[in-house]
Amino acid sequence: MELKIDEISSCLELPSTTVERWVRQGRIPVKMIGDTCLFSDTALRKWAEEHNLPYHPPGEQQQEKQEETSENLADAIGRGGIYYHLSGQTVEEVIGEAVSAMKGIESESDRQALYESLVAREQMMSTGIGNGVAVPHPRTPLSQTGIPTQIAVFFLDRPVDFKAVDKKPVYVLFVLVAASSQQHLHLLSRLSYCLRDATFLNLLSEVPAPETLITKIVEFEARLSGGEG
Amino acid sequence: MEMQMLHIFRNTPLGRETLLESAYFCKRLDILPVVYVPAYVKFLMYFENDVVQVDLDGSYLRSPDTARDHVVEIVESMGLPAPKFLELKHFTASTLPDIPVDYDFMCCPRSITDMSSKIGLGYIGPRVRRIVQNARFPVYIPSAVFKPWQSLAVMFGGSANALKALKLGIRLSRISGFPLDVFTQEGRRKRKDYEDIIDSEGLGVEMDKYVRRWRFFESRSFAENLYEIPHDALIVLGAYGHGLIKELFFGSTMETLQTVSPNSMLIVGPNYRASV
Amino acid sequence: MDDRLLLIAFGAAVGVCSGLAAVALSHGLVFMMENLSVFRDYWWAFVLPGIGMAASSLFLEKVVREGAGHGVPEVVYSVSRHGGLLRLRSSFSRLISNCLTIGSGASAGPEAPVIISGASIGSNISRLFSLNERQRVTLVGCGSAGALSAIFNAPVAGMVFTIEIIMGEWSAGNVVPIAVASVAGAQVTRLLQTHQISFTHLRFDVDVTSTLAAVGLAVLTALISVLFARSLRYSHHISEKITLPVWVRALIGGCMVGAIGLLLPGVLGEGYHSIQQMVEGAFAPGLALMLLLVGAKIAATALTLGWGGSGGIFAPALVIGSFAGLMYHRFIVLLLPGFSWVDEGCYALLGMAGVISGTMHAPLTGIFLIVDITGRYETILPLILVSALSTTISRVFEPASFYLRELVQKGQYLKPRTDAKVLADLSITELVEKDCKTVPRNMLLGDFIKVVQDSHRNHFPVVDEQTGEFQGMIHLDDIRPYLLDSLMYETVFLEQVMQTEVETVDIHEDLSEVLDRMDANGLFSMPVVSSSRFVGMISKATLLDKYRHELMVQTMH
Repeated sequence: MELKIDEISSCLELPSTTVERWVRQGRIPVKMIGDTCLFSDTALRKWAEEHNLPYHPPGEQQQEKQEETSENLADAIGRGGIYYHLSGQTVEEVIGEAVSAMKGIESESDRQALYESLVAREQMMSTGIGNGVAVPHPRTPLSQTGIPTQIAVFFLDRPVDFKAVDKKPVYVLFVLVAASSQQHLHLLSRLSYCLRDATFLNLLSEVPAPETLITKIVEFEARLSGGEG
Repeated sequence: MEMQMLHIFRNTPLGRETLLESAYFCKRLDILPVVYVPAYVKFLMYFENDVVQVDLDGSYLRSPDTARDHVVEIVESMGLPAPKFLELKHFTASTLPDIPVDYDFMCCPRSITDMSSKIGLGYIGPRVRRIVQNARFPVYIPSAVFKPWQSLAVMFGGSANALKALKLGIRLSRISGFPLDVFTQEGRRKRKDYEDIIDSEGLGVEMDKYVRRWRFFESRSFAENLYEIPHDALIVLGAYGHGLIKELFFGSTMETLQTVSPNSMLIVGPNYRASV
Repeated sequence: MDDRLLLIAFGAAVGVCSGLAAVALSHGLVFMMENLSVFRDYWWAFVLPGIGMAASSLFLEKVVREGAGHGVPEVVYSVSRHGGLLRLRSSFSRLISNCLTIGSGASAGPEAPVIISGASIGSNISRLFSLNERQRVTLVGCGSAGALSAIFNAPVAGMVFTIEIIMGEWSAGNVVPIAVASVAGAQVTRLLQTHQISFTHLRFDVDVTSTLAAVGLAVLTALISVLFARSLRYSHHISEKITLPVWVRALIGGCMVGAIGLLLPGVLGEGYHSIQQMVEGAFAPGLALMLLLVGAKIAATALTLGWGGSGGIFAPALVIGSFAGLMYHRFIVLLLPGFSWVDEGCYALLGMAGVISGTMHAPLTGIFLIVDITGRYETILPLILVSALSTTISRVFEPASFYLRELVQKGQYLKPRTDAKVLADLSITELVEKDCKTVPRNMLLGDFIKVVQDSHRNHFPVVDEQTGEFQGMIHLDDIRPYLLDSLMYETVFLEQVMQTEVETVDIHEDLSEVLDRMDANGLFSMPVVSSSRFVGMISKATLLDKYRHELMVQTMH
């Protein structure tokens, strides 16, 4: 095979100066003419294996790692859904109702597991973050269950006392389920960015239609990523 | 100022001109001069596939007490920060130091082994040639008297080395802002062929952006046409693009040019890696 | 073509060429000796070595402008640091200068010159064929082995010496071509050379007492080796202080050697003739005279090599060794006359092995050289004993082999597959991490915190936004106290919190020095700054990663 020095060094994930030096020193089965490298694919693959080095010839698809933090709120809510008129009176009732309403949970045992972990988390410390909003979530990611990452939004008929930090009763829940802690933190930070904003809270208090809420969230997220870049 | 240029200082009036040339070059291209004030008459340069021994002319070792002051004075007069002095680290033998070869440029007079009386047109010393052949860096051969150049002239004959020279010319023009002229002597190949070479290398955009004009010489010999190169241009050219033996028999651009033109030259050897 | 076969073929060719170089030198020496012997009896013969050494140093300095030492250290240096690159001129220069030196009667050996010639032939052949460094180093070894085995007609010794001293490692890739070259060199010499040192007709019956008595000889030879190595250096040191031109120095040194030679002619030249006599038991002088001879030979060699002559220490070490062996034999016979001792020739051989092993720290070379030139194994037991002990004892006084001493002192000796070699091969350019974001010095702390959020690093280089010059570093620890203080966000500029006293690394620096500095200052990472521009960071974490790769690549072929 024939490759340029830069290409071959990216195949081996090494700086080109290192590859060039190894060629010069005769430590790697590659011959160089000018800046073109000649080598046999099988010999180099074997060599890379022996020396514990990565080797991805061009053409061979490199497994792209899924960017876990690229998830955004609107998609997560799209998966979780927006629900109205929850009628529970206590924390447990509300959570129980919410969990049984959530779509995208396939087995009953998963549903049960989610319910238990949400309640356990509430008992430890309330997820009521103030201004009538609560963000119930499991303490550790429920990766052993098949529940996909999602946020489900629930509007309550009657505000319930969640023992929130500001003692205000809660009228809206964002149930956050994530497959990994990174996604959990990522989504939570985005959500908290929205919830710190007065206009967003005003919108929530008006119990908006699903489309309105999603549009608003997309708008906020655009602002967030605009600020980043 | 990430690029560095090696200069071997000769503490004589001739050496002053050479250092002025280097300093001007560094100033224009934002390069840090690294100056070696020779402490021994010999040194070795270990390249990838060759070791070159340079035996300096005795005048390089003259008046070592004033050498460093002179260097600082000359370099600073050009508005550059104080130069870096090369401190010898490795020795093949106690009086035979090794000089590192990982610089971006090196300044060589036409001959570094011979007495200064030999330096003139039509002669490039054998050591300088070997350095050009082996070096990863382009070699800057200054003219005998300092003259600030105001433009760049690339000799482009279509070979692989000429392409490298062209890329280097474009890069220098980009950094320095000086206009770039390209000169081509038409031989068997025609204008169209040369343009095809440029396109296949993907240099079209850069050519349009940086090249002031591209002169094709159609009639007369190359030596005669060299009068067209501006007197205040730095000539950039490739050497040994066709292999040493072939060039010895059939002559080369470098040979013709260095006998005819007194301009400063920047010579790109076969081991130079070019990028625009 | 397969790499190994290719190297074997090249190795054989290099072995033949270096064998030819060795044969040429020994013919040259014979020619010089024969033509100059007529002058030996005149009273002014003592100037002959002076003239020879002056001519030799003039030739080296002015004609070929060699400017380097006696050979072997240069080969080792080039193998360990520059992949075996040697100058073409070295392939013949030392042969001629050595011929002038020894031919005129100065005391030195022809081995170092042939070794560097052979090595240079190997290096230049591989350059001609654009072989890579690993192959080139092997061919340099082939050249040295071929030359040494040809000059001694000792193939095993040539091979063993090359591996012990020149290559510094045994590896399957090297040993086979070097062995082939050794054979080729010895074969060339056997075809073209009619007179050689060989003691194949001698028989020694070594008994237990003689073997035990060899322990004493080991101690003696070790001490003599140390004395020899030190006087060589001392003499060199003295001559360097003299400000005369090199050839005048050589002339003076040579005349002194000649003067010693007038009194004791046995110390002149390379001395193979005296060795022959001693081993065969035909050497008359008594104990006191032997002691004098040992001293005189050491002095003559030190003067020759230190003052501008060209040659090696191999042959003088053999001569000194056999003098010492004989001296020791006389001494024990005098002390314990009742025992039956082995022939004095055997002790001469043991003495040679002892001094060779002691000066060069190469016990195997000592053992195999004697086995090679006698062609017999009868003496092997005391031989091993003397060589091993002599090396061990002289190591107490001299930290490194005579050949490597200077390189080791300057830290230039890089044994293959060692920490020093790996660090010397890795350059800062290969290790620098360039994914560091620079921040301008006029940035507000509040803006900086946003930068921190997007970065996965703890170090932030601060630069001047106008000139682009590096100003200092900010570590997350530096801003931690103000992290939650929003008042500071809008009032503090980065230049107020950055550290300005930062240890930086130049891109051209040696990695080992950088690591020493890191260790001395307790740092885990340092910024790389080239002519006041920030280039990247260098950290011990990446270094470990690259270091392991490098070590793996260097140790497995």
